[in-house]
Amino acid sequence: MTALVRAEWTKLFTTRVWIGLLAGACVLVAGFVVLFTSFAGDTPGSAQGGPPGGLPPVGTEQFEQLVLAIGANVTVLFLILGIIGMTQEYRHRTATPTFLTTPRRGRVVVAKLTAYALVAVPFALVVVAVNYGVVAVAAGARGAVPELTGDNLRVLASSGLALVIYTVIGVGLGALVRNQVGAIVGGLVYLFVVEAIVRQISAIAGAYKWLPGGALEALTATLDGPDLLEPWQGGLLLLGYGLVAALLGTLLAVRRDVV
Amino acid sequence: MRVEVRGLSKSFGAVRAVDDLSFTVEPGSITGFLGPNGAGKTTTLRMALGLEQPDAGTATFDGVAYADLLSPVRTVGAVLETAFHPARSGRNHLRVYCRAAGLPVSRADEVLAQVGLADAGRRRAGGYSLGMRQRLALATALLGDPAVLVLDEPANGLDPEGIQWLRGFLRHLAHTEGRTVLVSSHLLAEMEQTADRVVIVGAGRLVREGSIAELRSGTQGSGAVLVRSPEAGRLAEVLRVAGLSVGPAEDGRVTVTGTTPATVGAHAFRAGVELHELRAETSGLEELYFRLTAGQEQFAASQGAAR
Ligand SMILES: Nc1ncnc2c1ncn2[C@@H]1O[C@H](COP(=O)(O)OP(=O)(O)O)[C@@H](O)[C@H]1O
Ligand SMILES: [Mg+2]
Repeated sequence: MTALVRAEWTKLFTTRVWIGLLAGACVLVAGFVVLFTSFAGDTPGSAQGGPPGGLPPVGTEQFEQLVLAIGANVTVLFLILGIIGMTQEYRHRTATPTFLTTPRRGRVVVAKLTAYALVAVPFALVVVAVNYGVVAVAAGARGAVPELTGDNLRVLASSGLALVIYTVIGVGLGALVRNQVGAIVGGLVYLFVVEAIVRQISAIAGAYKWLPGGALEALTATLDGPDLLEPWQGGLLLLGYGLVAALLGTLLAVRRDVV
Repeated sequence: MRVEVRGLSKSFGAVRAVDDLSFTVEPGSITGFLGPNGAGKTTTLRMALGLEQPDAGTATFDGVAYADLLSPVRTVGAVLETAFHPARSGRNHLRVYCRAAGLPVSRADEVLAQVGLADAGRRRAGGYSLGMRQRLALATALLGDPAVLVLDEPANGLDPEGIQWLRGFLRHLAHTEGRTVLVSSHLLAEMEQTADRVVIVGAGRLVREGSIAELRSGTQGSGAVLVRSPEAGRLAEVLRVAGLSVGPAEDGRVTVTGTTPATVGAHAFRAGVELHELRAETSGLEELYFRLTAGQEQFAASQGAAR
């Protein structure tokens, strides 16, 4: 199994997809931190009795948790990393040599899940570090470097964890769908259209907290939002989704013909 | 190592791609797996290698199914399709499979040299020519130094030199190194030059199996034998007397149907007729294969698609 996990890392690091996704994630996070910091405090946040959606001022606890959780917004790029990791085998037909080398196909999927979960850890650390670093500089310029303690640390850890879990979900989703474009488009449409609609319609909004997006929000959200699970429950639920996707993906990869 | 295919069958919807197919591949020789497009060759090989699930039947390597082999890469090398990530170099492509199979990564450079790709190893595989892709696929199959080599239409896309090289390479692997080589093709001429034995399939079924020589002598040519002789008139008479069906003698040529060059030659020799040319216009094997191909193409056309 170690050999197969190392083979997956060789696959990942001998093309440049990972550089693009990781750099993209860092740039997005840095950009949003700068944006949030520049508009912080312009309108009073809901916590101060203002309209919801306003940004709390720099130096407040709310502001710090909000900007430190920005990393969780690039989960979609980590989802794509996982999807590409799995679906490129089908896209470039390397599934054939891969399954010839390892005819027990379940082992390949398990190796991929392990390899991507492990590789997502340093990637997530990079994103979280960039997140904190840019906050420290941008907020520091306005006189308030957030401390790395208590709730702040928990917020950073939650977004890191969310990034890792979404990578695993991506691998599972890729094994299920196999078509790269289909899996990516499907994943995006689901997260940004389907869940957004469920979240808005009051009659079914109660279901939202049980969906992957709702679980992610429960794990990482810092502003008041819809009815959600506790953060730890959200984390567990998210992990559950990752494992279910992985399990289904494994079963299907084992049973279907390689095409 | 012996490859045994027993009763393999697989249908795709209404298409019976492989139909109760059985044959054996022996070590130390090149076995050609011959059949027109859509005959079920690729499907058979993919089932033998555990990539597709057969509806019935088995394929084994010294009695063991591919998925149950202790070390598949060290036992069987397969060239099925040229599948690479275009952005990965040929060498890195090979290293991936070294890692996965627990082979030292230095094997990548060894097989690259073996297939004559050492100079291109560090370039992106996406920029390779068709011939280089075939060589890289072959290099991948050789990584584990396997006892059995299975190649699906490896000559496709190769230029004449490439085909010549491949032929020599396969002969070396089979005849000198004693490996078992199974190579598929839809071209009879290609197989006649490469293979020691052929297994001919049509519409998913076994049509003939045997050495090329056996099949040639076993399939009586209803085809014509062409003879050129300065005494064409006398030769025609001799053959007619011998009971063969002989066309008219024109320009020093005689056409005899329903016989073989060997029979015509024997009669001419006994009668003391000088010959300048003696050849089968089409061999029995060619004719057999031609009938198969013609029938198959109609079949494939009626099915809509051939892979
Ligand atoms: N995945 C598939 N789905 C549907 N039909 C298929 C599939 N694979 C092969 N076939 C059909 O099975 C038959 C045999 O195909 P194939 O094994 O590729 O033949 P060959 O390799 O001899 O050209 C053809 O009629 C082909 O169209
Ligand atoms: Mg084929």
